[in-house]
Amino acid sequence: MLTALLEQTVNGLMAGSVYVLVALGMVLIYGVMHVLNFAHGALFMLGGYLCHFFFTRVTGSYPVSVVLSMIALAAIGIALERGVFRPLQGNLRNQVIASLGLILALENLVIALWGPNALQLRVPATETLVPIGELRFALQHILVIAVTFAVVLALFLFLKLSRLGTAIRAASQDRQAAMVVGIPVERVDWTTFALGTALAALGGALVGPLFLVFPQMGDAPLVKGLAGILLGGMGSVPGAVVGGLIIGVAESLSTLVLPTDYRDSVAFVVMILILLVRPHGLFGVRVRGED
Amino acid sequence: MSAFAVRGLVKRYGGVSALSGCSLEIDASGIYGLIGPNGAGKTTLFDVVTGITQPDAGSVTIDGREVTGVAPHRLARLGLARTFQECRVFPEFTCLDNLMFAPRVAGNARGAHVEAMRLLELVNLARFADEPAATLSFGQRRLLELLGVFMLRPRILMLDEPAAGVNPALLEVLSAFIQRMYRERPCLFLVVEHNMEFIISLATEIVVMHEGRVLERGSPEAIQSNPRVMEAYLG
Amino acid sequence: MLKLAAVTGLTLALFAVPSMAADQPYLIHVLVLCCLYAIPAVGLNLMLGYTGLVSLGHMGFAGIGAYTAAVLMVDAGLGFWGALAAGLIAAAVAGAAIGAVCLRFRSHFFMIVTLAFGLMLYAVMNNWDGITRGAAGFPGIPRPGPLGPLSFGSLQDFYYLALSAALFAFLVQWRVVRSDFGRILMALRQDERLAQARGVNAMLYKTGVFALGSALAGLGGVLHVAFLRVAAPATFSFAESINIVLVVIVGGAGALAGPALGAVVYVGLPEYLRVASEWRLVLFGVLLVLLMRFAPRGMAGLLADGWQRLLRRSP
Repeated sequence: MLTALLEQTVNGLMAGSVYVLVALGMVLIYGVMHVLNFAHGALFMLGGYLCHFFFTRVTGSYPVSVVLSMIALAAIGIALERGVFRPLQGNLRNQVIASLGLILALENLVIALWGPNALQLRVPATETLVPIGELRFALQHILVIAVTFAVVLALFLFLKLSRLGTAIRAASQDRQAAMVVGIPVERVDWTTFALGTALAALGGALVGPLFLVFPQMGDAPLVKGLAGILLGGMGSVPGAVVGGLIIGVAESLSTLVLPTDYRDSVAFVVMILILLVRPHGLFGVRVRGED
Repeated sequence: MSAFAVRGLVKRYGGVSALSGCSLEIDASGIYGLIGPNGAGKTTLFDVVTGITQPDAGSVTIDGREVTGVAPHRLARLGLARTFQECRVFPEFTCLDNLMFAPRVAGNARGAHVEAMRLLELVNLARFADEPAATLSFGQRRLLELLGVFMLRPRILMLDEPAAGVNPALLEVLSAFIQRMYRERPCLFLVVEHNMEFIISLATEIVVMHEGRVLERGSPEAIQSNPRVMEAYLG
Repeated sequence: MLKLAAVTGLTLALFAVPSMAADQPYLIHVLVLCCLYAIPAVGLNLMLGYTGLVSLGHMGFAGIGAYTAAVLMVDAGLGFWGALAAGLIAAAVAGAAIGAVCLRFRSHFFMIVTLAFGLMLYAVMNNWDGITRGAAGFPGIPRPGPLGPLSFGSLQDFYYLALSAALFAFLVQWRVVRSDFGRILMALRQDERLAQARGVNAMLYKTGVFALGSALAGLGGVLHVAFLRVAAPATFSFAESINIVLVVIVGGAGALAGPALGAVVYVGLPEYLRVASEWRLVLFGVLLVLLMRFAPRGMAGLLADGWQRLLRRSP
């Protein structure tokens, strides 16, 4: 029993780490630009595909491929911010619909280019087994958790200590005030977008070796990431981390009592419960008069 | 039994008391100007009465009937109508459709068409009857909004800073129009306003709020020379 | 007057297609698909286009209608027409119930909750093997039985059924839009707070249109699986919910002809262009983004603008 619990907790932390990466990207973008980018799951998926591409065609090094895919997605993120989201600023409905269009375009683009079947991203080094107690986990499981932890730490330090990080925090608290004080909000916008999409790419690249790379691989992380943000509180960065991890662990632990088919529904149920009971999440701030 | 009464209204936001035991009773019809320095609680009082916010304590009654926390749409049915500080109209509907909206919702659109055209003519907007409201200037939209609530035939009409954002040259027109509306259908007008000149000349009685409570009430002349009021604004 | 004549003419032409194109079953097949997409699109148009409710789980309700009818027809032996009615009612009831929950939220949150419900419904369709036959799909759905003298076994006859259903959906849309109910929906889209201040019980009306839109989705769903002879979860997935949003937006949200234009573009155009299906969807995704930037009122908007320009030119 204890082993099963441990096994699912580690699995949960791993899944949760992936959700955290997706959630962080979305919450940063939402905080600064007040747009919920539904295409974030598709960008996550694209990160996985590009990592696969770089790994198999360009460099045999997995770490380098991961970094390259992050850079590529960051560039794509900037292009999207400039070309799609900035011009539509203020019009929530059109932004969301545009992001739906992006999902459609990206998911089918990879199908057109790589075919509908899943791709294998085999990185033998990550398959070595690591013993924890009586269990053995593939190294990648641990890597996902460790890398996410490191990235989250780096992000917190960046937001707290660096000038740009402080600018991002200021702009997400009060955009008008930030503008008045002289913060270059436009630069903050595309930087945040680049950062967010790079995080999504990292998620996709990390998940690749564990579970294949396929066109719909971003759909579930999108929803779980959303659930994580809602749980943590819309606009709260620490909330996204806590929320994402809770969803991941809750999901995995649920497989001990529920049929695994319904595992995905855990996130949905959490989402709906949170919205009904405590809409501003665990760390969110109630905004007065937000219509 | 007063036509309109709030008793002991309390509303806190975080640590701040926006309303701290606010009480006001109004028996007669008239144009009541609600003034007070920033933070006095005018907007909060407005929000509580119009059903936007729930008070922490206290009650609101209309003709003795308890209406605390009743939803805005039901208040409209009970005869309480309001305008908005930022001036809200339906931008895509024509001016005529804007005026016809409330009667249609209430289910008595018969005869409303004639009334709507008459009101539009009154303020010189008849030529815009079939134009979308978005094409009007801000001042014209203010007038349209006022016409819109008038079509509801309200017993209590709450105007939220009607002069806000209106071109000074048009303020006299606006004031004259509100007075005309009052003469046509004398009921209870409650007007929150920051523009002193505007409200002093318009109101039949002034209510001054300060620190979440009603400080003074009286005729415009009496209030203007009241030292306590002066102190509230300056102190 | 001109519009009435045009619509009547178009309707007659559409009914005449099978006799005129008897040797082109492919064309009729495409037209049936257009109808099957247009019907749920009308439902979503009422919700999204006229009332401003951006639902990202619309096809989930099509699935409720479809599976309800499938189970009743195959497991309970009920005839098509009874199953159709039951499917419609099931979708409407689900729409009212789920809508009532979703509508407690605004803007972003509303979209997220509708998305979540759509995914949950899909999960049920995909996993409740006992009832829905799971991911493999629910086979053996019969073509509609005869209704009086009319039979619907053949492609042509099914086309008449699909076309009639589509016309019915558009008729419902037209009546709603021109009624006080429709006006209130449009008011809610423009300014909900203002509408409430003028006496509108927003929750009631929004739930009502959610139920109506879901019922229409259910109608489309039942016909869809009756046409395919099998009910599969993939027909009612998140991807399909996005596609139906696409149909409404491309055609023109809030326009009466929008769903028809959108369905024709979505189904018909790629068949005409003979593009591989993945590239078609890539193009549609890009089209959606471009439209949001440059022509948010969709095709109906572009046509209306073109018409206005034409009117201004003529003496």
